[in-house]
Amino acid sequence: MTDLTAIRSVLAEPFMQRALLGGLLTGALGGLLGSFAVLRQLSFFSDALGHSALLGISLGILLGVNPTLVLIPFAVVFALLVNQLVARSGLPADALLNIVYSTSLAFAVVALSLVETYRGGIQQLLFGDILGISWSDLTVIAVLLLGALIYLALSLRAQVLLTLNTDLAEAFGVGASRHWLAFIVLLAVVVAVSIKAVGVLLISAFVVIPACGGRLVSRHFPLYALISACLGGGCALLGLLGSGLTNLPSGPCVVIVQFAGFLLALLVSQMTPRPPATAVPAGRHSPGGDRGALESR
Amino acid sequence: MGSPPVAQVQNLSVLRDGLLAVDGVSFSLAPETDTALVGPNGAGKSTLVAALLGLLPRSGGSVRILGQELGPAGELPRSVRSQIAYLPQTLALQGRFPLSVNEFVGFGFDLPGLNLAWLAGGSRGRRQAIQQALQRTGCADLGDRLLSELSGGQLKRVLLAFCVVRPRRLLVLDEAQAGLDVPSTEQFHQLLLELRRQEGWTVLQVSHDLEMVRRSCDQVLCLNRRLRCSGSPDHALSPDRLLELYGPNVVPYRHQHNHAGAQRP
Repeated sequence: MTDLTAIRSVLAEPFMQRALLGGLLTGALGGLLGSFAVLRQLSFFSDALGHSALLGISLGILLGVNPTLVLIPFAVVFALLVNQLVARSGLPADALLNIVYSTSLAFAVVALSLVETYRGGIQQLLFGDILGISWSDLTVIAVLLLGALIYLALSLRAQVLLTLNTDLAEAFGVGASRHWLAFIVLLAVVVAVSIKAVGVLLISAFVVIPACGGRLVSRHFPLYALISACLGGGCALLGLLGSGLTNLPSGPCVVIVQFAGFLLALLVSQMTPRPPATAVPAGRHSPGGDRGALESR
Repeated sequence: MGSPPVAQVQNLSVLRDGLLAVDGVSFSLAPETDTALVGPNGAGKSTLVAALLGLLPRSGGSVRILGQELGPAGELPRSVRSQIAYLPQTLALQGRFPLSVNEFVGFGFDLPGLNLAWLAGGSRGRRQAIQQALQRTGCADLGDRLLSELSGGQLKRVLLAFCVVRPRRLLVLDEAQAGLDVPSTEQFHQLLLELRRQEGWTVLQVSHDLEMVRRSCDQVLCLNRRLRCSGSPDHALSPDRLLELYGPNVVPYRHQHNHAGAQRP
């Protein structure tokens, strides 16, 4: 009874209502985009984007411009530059992304040290402040989720084929480069928009954990994307509720619940009998092959 | 006057990583014929195939497919593009890939462009086409399996189902039998031969299996950056030509018995 009263009182707070809705939408968006990013081996890319966002925020503060306004264009430009760098350098994507994200972090910390006081606080940048989410933030996230859902549903054939093999996709009429770039831009915007709620350090968890959970229990692609989105949104909702009830930090609570969801998916997948997987190496021309994980022709 | 060629390549040159990988190659593919592209590693075979399909830019020459000129960035009218099929060596299926065989073959049926044809398995016609394609390639019992659960031989047959699910004119294979054991390679070629005859496909295949090329192809193109020779298998794969193409380490070998005869009861 006491628990129900506590939940009611938490739900009665307007800032908590906005936070729960924001968590639901951000989690669903991360899960949806993550379902494609994970298969394309872009998990580390979202991590690098998250760290670069910190640099974008720092530059905004240094230049005296609202960091939120700087963040989206900065993330998009940064994502496109990194995509080109990986495609042209000939270095393995994971090594290059490691260089990029650690360097971004270093520059961001140096830039922040030049600012005497930052009102937002470094803690909020690193772990997010979902309780401070506004109605306008929610509108942007909702529009983004709807746009991503429509684009990915309409281009599902193209998205799946180019994930399997870019040459196969192009030979069958898919504008692989166009769709690849569109996805990279979409991922960058989603990361930039979600940073405020989720924080720099936890953003990749929002993209990777629900998608990996969904991957373990799905045998159909649309269902996989849907389960990943639901897992992302549902875990975020539960995590925030738990955070509100226990006064623990919100972002970490969400990630812990996401991890519990992943463990549950792992358990379900282990209990479901299925034929043994046959190892098939990545294609020479596939995104996961030696052309580099981010390259598009 | 014979039928016009399905594909016509004139003086094709392709630069790759700053090097001339394909230099002034010309050939044509007559309708319903099987042409093999052979040559040592690094000879430019895959580059030529990629340029022919419009996947790589050309530095010179022209390509016509089904009477349409390939644009500078590989553009072809959608009606022509939908009649071309391509089989790569492998797919990026690391780990568990949540895509069923039915779904994958269905994407072979759908036309390029934004659409929701996949929703709820698609139309009745789409579902029937998928079933027929899987039956014709001996994959009828694999529809609900994940692509990543298939063996190498099963995956190749599913790739053929992906091609046969919609009528095509030109099928291009880039070492599609790579990674298969001997029985699976033989089964794959038997199936390809059957489908080619039934569908009237014109086939261009990159291959290192010279014995298979000798047995089943109508035309052989020997490539080592430039076209070294071309013609019938007996002509292009003569010991002298092989020596010129591969060097002294390739020993020509001919099967002495008849496979067709051996299979009869």
